[in-house]
Amino acid sequence: MKIAVIGAGGFIGNRLVEQLHLGSSHAVVPIVRKPWRLALPARFDLEWRLGDALDAVSLAKALAGCDAVIHAALGDPRQIEAMPTALTMAAAAAGIRRVVYLSTASVHGQAPAPGTTETTPLHTSHAMDYNNAKVRAEQGFFHEVARHRLEGFALRPGVVFGPRSRWITDLAQDLRLGQAWLLNGGSGICNSIYVDNLGSAVLSALTAPAAAAGPYLVGDAETITWRDFHHAIALGLGLDPSDIADIDRLPSFKRSVSAKVRRVVASPGVQSLLPFIPGGLKRTTKQFIAATQAAPSPNAWRLPAAPAPRITEELALLQQCAWKFPHQPATDRLGYRPHVSFKEAIARSLAWFAFAEGRA
Amino acid sequence: MQMNPLPDSVRPAVTAKALHPVILVGCGAVSRLFYQPTITELSRRKEARLVAAVDPVASARHPLIERFPQAAGVASLEQVDAPEGSLAIIASPPRFHAEHTREALARGWHVLCEKPMAATAADCADMTRAAEAANRVLAVGLYKRFFPTSGYLRQLCQGRTLGRLQSFDLQEGGPFNWPAASPSFFNRRETPGGVLLDIGVHVLDLLLWWLGDPASFDYADDAMGGLETNAVLKLRYDGGATGRVHLSRDWATRQRYHFEFENGTVEWTVNQANALTVRLNGLPASLQGTLVNEARVPALTNPQCFIAQLQNVLAAARGEETVRVTGRDGERITRFLSSCYANRRLLDQPWLEPAEAARARQLSAAS
Repeated sequence: MKIAVIGAGGFIGNRLVEQLHLGSSHAVVPIVRKPWRLALPARFDLEWRLGDALDAVSLAKALAGCDAVIHAALGDPRQIEAMPTALTMAAAAAGIRRVVYLSTASVHGQAPAPGTTETTPLHTSHAMDYNNAKVRAEQGFFHEVARHRLEGFALRPGVVFGPRSRWITDLAQDLRLGQAWLLNGGSGICNSIYVDNLGSAVLSALTAPAAAAGPYLVGDAETITWRDFHHAIALGLGLDPSDIADIDRLPSFKRSVSAKVRRVVASPGVQSLLPFIPGGLKRTTKQFIAATQAAPSPNAWRLPAAPAPRITEELALLQQCAWKFPHQPATDRLGYRPHVSFKEAIARSLAWFAFAEGRA
Repeated sequence: MQMNPLPDSVRPAVTAKALHPVILVGCGAVSRLFYQPTITELSRRKEARLVAAVDPVASARHPLIERFPQAAGVASLEQVDAPEGSLAIIASPPRFHAEHTREALARGWHVLCEKPMAATAADCADMTRAAEAANRVLAVGLYKRFFPTSGYLRQLCQGRTLGRLQSFDLQEGGPFNWPAASPSFFNRRETPGGVLLDIGVHVLDLLLWWLGDPASFDYADDAMGGLETNAVLKLRYDGGATGRVHLSRDWATRQRYHFEFENGTVEWTVNQANALTVRLNGLPASLQGTLVNEARVPALTNPQCFIAQLQNVLAAARGEETVRVTGRDGERITRFLSSCYANRRLLDQPWLEPAEAARARQLSAAS
């Protein structure tokens, strides 16, 4: 098959291109939006193409002659919601039936209720805009897939890690700076999936029977806690895991004024009204927001603070997770097998990280 | 790039009579971001004036013609009307450098050729011979030579101020974000190399200038039938110094050059034209600061060095200075680059599946 990968310059898209080109008999067509995203795909002698994941016409042109398409493009919440429409329209125009869309386990929230599966109804009342956008995007995807009579597969991975992943690099930095932390000893479930295992799931979806089309949760074979994840990285970096801060209370995540305003501005209703708002009013609003964000003047009579845990809302939610997503439906209907063990996945991720840091 | 005006104390402005005609060949990103503000500043100082912007694509010429309305916007070099002794800046795509340079020299113009000078050392040698035969200046656009820090490091490497150089570790690059208008940058049939040919040219130029030719080297990159995005070069010098260079268009490197001398270490952040960090062995902390002259005036900044490069070439065209980076230098760098590519091996990528790594080796060997 000739398989197009949209978002081929990103962390997951790049790895899919590598897996398809180096490890399968399929021909791969990397698609990126801008020429400068070609740095990684251009390492191979491939027929890469330019295509905008938000523009069905441009995308259809890029998909010409392909037999299947994988969508791994990223974007902000508004873009995430708009992409499935362009994707399905373009696939239909290019005569492609098999479409694999990378959704996320976060459509169920970062800390889903025990018992959650693919059949659990989705909602858009999550604390994080990203989750709500992905819910709408996935729902839109299946709606459009049905309209265009395509074979749509949406994969819902959890914490995707591996070479070039922020889960490795950000954690390494936090560990070195003394800003890493674990909630209640790190007993929360990290629904990890090594990027190669996600690649296996994508390949399975590409060749699964059309009747198997639908959404699938996918993950690593093992049940991994956040303690397991943090300790493995710390040990791999030669750091003492016992130095990781253990906390039992999380801060409240109140949105700043500017974040609230940005959220309102980003909503589709306000976006449609923006062209009618006078430029002066827009400027005044921006100045007001900037003023509320002004950093306080440094106090010369303060000593530097000791490193404090860097607690993001996303990680705070993730570490409260008490449920390992099952991937039995993916195994049964797609033939998915997470072939790389967690131990091996960490070893490969750290091998890449050592290279990226110039230590190898 | 934001360019600050040069302090007038750097080099006194010449009279309007000396306003040097300049032709800009190629109106891509480097012309828009670097040469446009440079020529603007030298026009203000009455040292240069743009007489023509050459590019086959009208929309590429447009921003320059808008900025310099007195200049002619033309599609090819033969359409340019400029007197002998003008300066042609060759900023076209690298595969045209040799052809455009020869054409400019044949018109009696001096040439500043953007890096990389040409695809092969033979082309570079041919360009140099053409310049010598025409009795015209041929300079290569490697402006990091003009960084005050570059000169400072050269003296440290060649002198004994901090003792003998023992080792160095150079890391440069990050996710590719050069606003190239076309994907030709990543097309092996249009561009002969990847990250080594791009930012590596600057690094190799500085290394050759600081330390001369290495006694031996080992070069590896991750091209697997296409163009490399990561490259690692290990060098060994007569006298025992060793070095490692890591270049990337893939992932953020430390953007740092680290030198270990017998009596201390020096760190330079990439593109910091006038700042260094020095640690003397035995002392408890490093010194980080800006290079200043006797009057405590800070040395030239990065954009000011780009302007200084053009000033140097114009002064050489007037016979007042020698060119800082010559065609011979460009040829030497290109020869070393070619040696790297000729002796390349695939970078170890232990994060790939074993079967993928084997296939990667096949693709690499076949390319």
